[in-house]
Amino acid sequence: MIEVIAEVTGSIQGGLGCLGAAIGVGLVGAKAAESVGRNPGASGKVLVQAIIGMALAEGVAFFAIFL
Amino acid sequence: MRIYTHFSIKQALKIATVAIGSTLIVPAAHAEMSAKATELINIVGIPITNSMVTSWVLSALIIILIRFLVKKPQLIPTKGQYVVETLVQGVQGLIEPIVGKKLLKPTFPLLVGFFTFILLQNWSGLFPGVGTIGFMDDHDHFQSYIRPANADLNMTLALAIVHFGAWLYFVMRYAGPKILLFDLFGNKADKKETPTFMFILLTVIFFFVGIIEVVSIMFRNVSLPFRLYGNVFGGENLLHSMTGLLGWIVPVPFYFLEVLVGFVQALVFTVLVAVYIGLICNHDSEEHAH
Repeated sequence: MIEVIAEVTGSIQGGLGCLGAAIGVGLVGAKAAESVGRNPGASGKVLVQAIIGMALAEGVAFFAIFL
Repeated sequence: MRIYTHFSIKQALKIATVAIGSTLIVPAAHAEMSAKATELINIVGIPITNSMVTSWVLSALIIILIRFLVKKPQLIPTKGQYVVETLVQGVQGLIEPIVGKKLLKPTFPLLVGFFTFILLQNWSGLFPGVGTIGFMDDHDHFQSYIRPANADLNMTLALAIVHFGAWLYFVMRYAGPKILLFDLFGNKADKKETPTFMFILLTVIFFFVGIIEVVSIMFRNVSLPFRLYGNVFGGENLLHSMTGLLGWIVPVPFYFLEVLVGFVQALVFTVLVAVYIGLICNHDSEEHAH
């Protein structure tokens, strides 16, 4: 088992960071869709909030990749 | 992985003719793009890179295009003027609830400028020939002759520095250092409802929260450029790999994805700058709205 893990190469922290960011963006998108379903009139306001939330969650991925 | 060396001349000519029609240039297809911009010429120690040239050319084009579309503003808009008005009103409607009515007028030129500039620079990477014609460097990375400006970290960092300077100006001008310092470090607890002991304890806590806040404000200058650069450069790389995988049909959905990503990233940058300004300056109108 340990030998198998030792064979794993590449940017592991980058992968984990992107995984976290992807989950975060997915959660924001799911909730945004849900809230527009509840109140279609607020879609413009929800869009702005969702974009901000997604952007902040997405930023983590770039920190993981570049830093 | 130099598959194209096995082709006969006849086949190579055939592919070359197809390649002229699409953006597919065969030798470019396999490698990763270089993370840095290519230096074209060096004028007295100042390197002029391909990204810089793209940004200048496109900036000039934006100015000429908008001047050409609007000409002389009229009460009954011409078709060109209507296009520009739609853009301006769209951005205005988006940022008005964020920065507030008072700050809309002063911040609007900056924000609409950010939006237009970043949007068109992002989409410039999708033109045929941009990022596809080039050569292989020593590290087996692909260097293109024309490179979109936002696929260079220097450009996005410059945008972030502009944002930070503007943020500081607007906060100092329209909120003042007193509100800024209170917003960062001040004790926001209600003095009448909290016991004195708790109030002093909260003051200490709010002070340390303020230090974290200052760090996070400084980190905006890192996260904003990384986000934009990562998306645009990643998109360029994605299109490269997909064209390398199979030259036809396969890259098409990714081109549509990149159109969307370019738009969303321009929107994100603009909205985030608006939010950063609005967080400090837009206290009163937010309370009225609730």
